[in-house]
Amino acid sequence: MSGPHVYDMVVVGGGPGGYTAALYAARSGLDTVVLEKLSAGGQMALTEEIDNYPGFEEGVDGFTLAEKMQRQAERFGARTEYAQVERVDLSAAPKILETSEGTFYAKTVVLATGANPRELGIADENALVGRGVAYCAACDGMRYRGRTVVVVGGGNSAAADALLLSRIAKQVILVHRRDTLRATKVYHEPLMRAENLEFRWNSTVTELLHGDKLTGVKVKNVQTGEETEVPCDGIFISVGRKPATELVQGQLELDESGYVVADETTKTNLPGVYAVGDVRTKPLRQVVTAVADGATAIHMAEEYLVGNS
Amino acid sequence: MAAMDINKEQFQQMASGEKPLLVDYWAPWCGYCRRIGPAYERVAEEYGDRLTAAKINIDEEAQLAEAEQIEVIPTLVLYRDGKAVDSIVNPGSKAAIEQFIQEALSK
Repeated sequence: MSGPHVYDMVVVGGGPGGYTAALYAARSGLDTVVLEKLSAGGQMALTEEIDNYPGFEEGVDGFTLAEKMQRQAERFGARTEYAQVERVDLSAAPKILETSEGTFYAKTVVLATGANPRELGIADENALVGRGVAYCAACDGMRYRGRTVVVVGGGNSAAADALLLSRIAKQVILVHRRDTLRATKVYHEPLMRAENLEFRWNSTVTELLHGDKLTGVKVKNVQTGEETEVPCDGIFISVGRKPATELVQGQLELDESGYVVADETTKTNLPGVYAVGDVRTKPLRQVVTAVADGATAIHMAEEYLVGNS
Repeated sequence: MAAMDINKEQFQQMASGEKPLLVDYWAPWCGYCRRIGPAYERVAEEYGDRLTAAKINIDEEAQLAEAEQIEVIPTLVLYRDGKAVDSIVNPGSKAAIEQFIQEALSK
């Protein structure tokens, strides 16, 4: 009697790490499927221009690069299912993945679920997404042409967002909980030069003021405790990222920030399970390092499959 | 059937057509809109017998988008008998689009 179909490899997540794993797997003759909830690319799909991915001397937009990676993997036989993975059992043999498109079984799993913007965690934040609350200036900045926006954060992405928005919006207010930026020096001078940019140091956003849409925010000075209302049309939240690892909690070893513990081999604590790209513990999270992980994972998976078939 | 781009005249005709009409309001500059594209096309095929899936470019059909009170994109709206039954802003997965459709169709 034949049981359910068991894939050699199931890749969870269709970003650059996931599709590179799929490309290498398919080229090695492994029966491979990518489970992606929406469309190829992950965070990269929302990046307007990528200038540091080698081979594209004029730059390339992230969505286009993602589609190219998907088509390249599919050319060698990898499949894509637009499936949301709901539950996994990564210790079972075969490994089990329950999704919105049915259950998948796999000999090996590549976890390429990436990371998402970290939320502020204040009331109504989720409900106001698209109605004043945003996490990506390059994506949503154009909606705020000539308006007033608040940017929260003090790292590189907050600095880049504030600069970009200063060229679009009427006024930009940068709220940061410390008295200095963590952003790389290259951002400092242009930020200080931007005439429509105002800094609120030592401050946090404590409340979103709104009707149907955002109308302002409440900003608290963490040193004096003083709270002021700042009228604005949009708030761009740029306070870092969080790895998408809810799915594997309790099964894979995670570090204190929630990233899957895996070294350069991409091997996790479970045999036959590999973590690639932003979801893995690593010093630099970039498209180029994600694709390198994808290739490495297949090298390791092939060794595992030889020893376990 | 693939989701086709429609204009105001086609919209007015199709929204009161026999089958419910699902509209994806989008614009070429909208990154989130591009992201839901592949899943939307798949849904258009899978639900082709129960509804007609279409797309409206809000830059080209600005008047229509305003009349339909589309303030953020991507927004999906399901129309039946000429009326908007329900809408969803920026669904995060194909599964979320399907859940929206199933709930809207049963209203």
